[in-house]
Amino acid sequence: MAPVLGPLQPIVDMLTSPLFLEIVLFPGLLSIAIIGALLGWLERKVTARVQLRIGPLYASPAGGILQMFADLIKLSFKELFVPENSDAFFFIMAPTTGLVLGAALVGLIPFAPGLQIANIEVGLPAFLAIITLSPTLILLAGWSANSKFPFIGGLRALFQQTAYEIPLWLSALGVIMMAGTMNLAQIVDAQTGGWYILPQALGAFIFLVTSVAEMERLPFDLPEAESEIMMGWQAEYPGVLFLAAQGPGFVKLYAFSALFSVMYLGGFLGPSFLPSLFWMLLKTLIVIVLIMLLRSTFPRVRLDQLLRAGWTTLLTLAILNIGITYLLVVGLPTL
Amino acid sequence: MVAQGIPEIGSYIAFLFVSTVALVIILRLFVSPRDPRPTPEKKKPFESGQIAAGPGRTRFIIQYYPYLLMFVVYDVIAMFLFAWGLNLRALGASGSIPVLVFIVVLLIPLGYALHLANHRENW
Repeated sequence: MAPVLGPLQPIVDMLTSPLFLEIVLFPGLLSIAIIGALLGWLERKVTARVQLRIGPLYASPAGGILQMFADLIKLSFKELFVPENSDAFFFIMAPTTGLVLGAALVGLIPFAPGLQIANIEVGLPAFLAIITLSPTLILLAGWSANSKFPFIGGLRALFQQTAYEIPLWLSALGVIMMAGTMNLAQIVDAQTGGWYILPQALGAFIFLVTSVAEMERLPFDLPEAESEIMMGWQAEYPGVLFLAAQGPGFVKLYAFSALFSVMYLGGFLGPSFLPSLFWMLLKTLIVIVLIMLLRSTFPRVRLDQLLRAGWTTLLTLAILNIGITYLLVVGLPTL
Repeated sequence: MVAQGIPEIGSYIAFLFVSTVALVIILRLFVSPRDPRPTPEKKKPFESGQIAAGPGRTRFIIQYYPYLLMFVVYDVIAMFLFAWGLNLRALGASGSIPVLVFIVVLLIPLGYALHLANHRENW
């Protein structure tokens, strides 16, 4: 490109560079917003299908697909206020920081060879470390609202984190032991011989269960349990802030399903008659629908059940999975 | 890459779109009048239609507090295993013996701590 724009040329170069377009368009911000809204619609449709209902219908020519965009517009025009005696700074900061964290997760995922915003060596631990912050934000939101239901929801998020966090990390350790790397793109490349869903079946199961618990979706949606504590930590959020509190849930669903595809389902690997991006998105969509079906099938667990299952069953299975992986990688001990 | 197939003008439109949405949210958050029609009921905390009673940050039974303590200890310890798992092929069976002993040694106090944590009236 010839420098015809004078002093504006560096700005134009920056705006049209591939990295900037990846950040803004795909897999970056614009696609995250659109996919998050579409996932909200898909979840309502899938749940309605399971429960023999119809779901969103009117807001477009094709099955109410614009329903979430209509909700978005409605929520953004609602009055914004902060409840009395609440800590306004943290009350506003917690959900907006949650949005940023959700978008940061997607930036670590390799969607195709080279199509990845941040290809870092410690991609997998970085993903799990970023996600570790979200219960803290929920506790902050619940505390700052100075209301009973949000406070109970925030404390539930804190206790729930102790139940799933260690099995989540230990099940991810199995994949790291198999691949010998923490780089997500290299983990995908290591699966050319066979997907890790077979040797890591136990680890994949634990990872799926604990990541559903981490996303606070049914059957583990204790912090927002709308039939018990009235949406929990989200109860006091008005208008746009409610949108900011709800949005990270769908972005996390998208990011975790993509991570599950990368770790266990071979990521962007697939037959070469279709682009690798297609295979990646197809696997992600399958995992998303699986998690939505879990939501519409199982009832909610109690907090003590979740703590006991996390600390006994899931932790034991995760350590067993590490043992199995050790034997697969190193081989049987020869005495 | 997908990005290279997009015409130049498209990226500007997308950038304008994203920044407009972000600007609208920011304006809604910070610039617009915070509370145009204040009423005392509007800002009360939500308690299912009842008048809010008592402090918002109520007492909460911390019967699961032992799990928090165990989490603080074992979440850090689990990170040590990542250094071993990453270099498992290089270490081999002989290099892994200390780590396996480490795991077994950790499991014994974990079992005892779980035994204590299940006695929930002892907190």
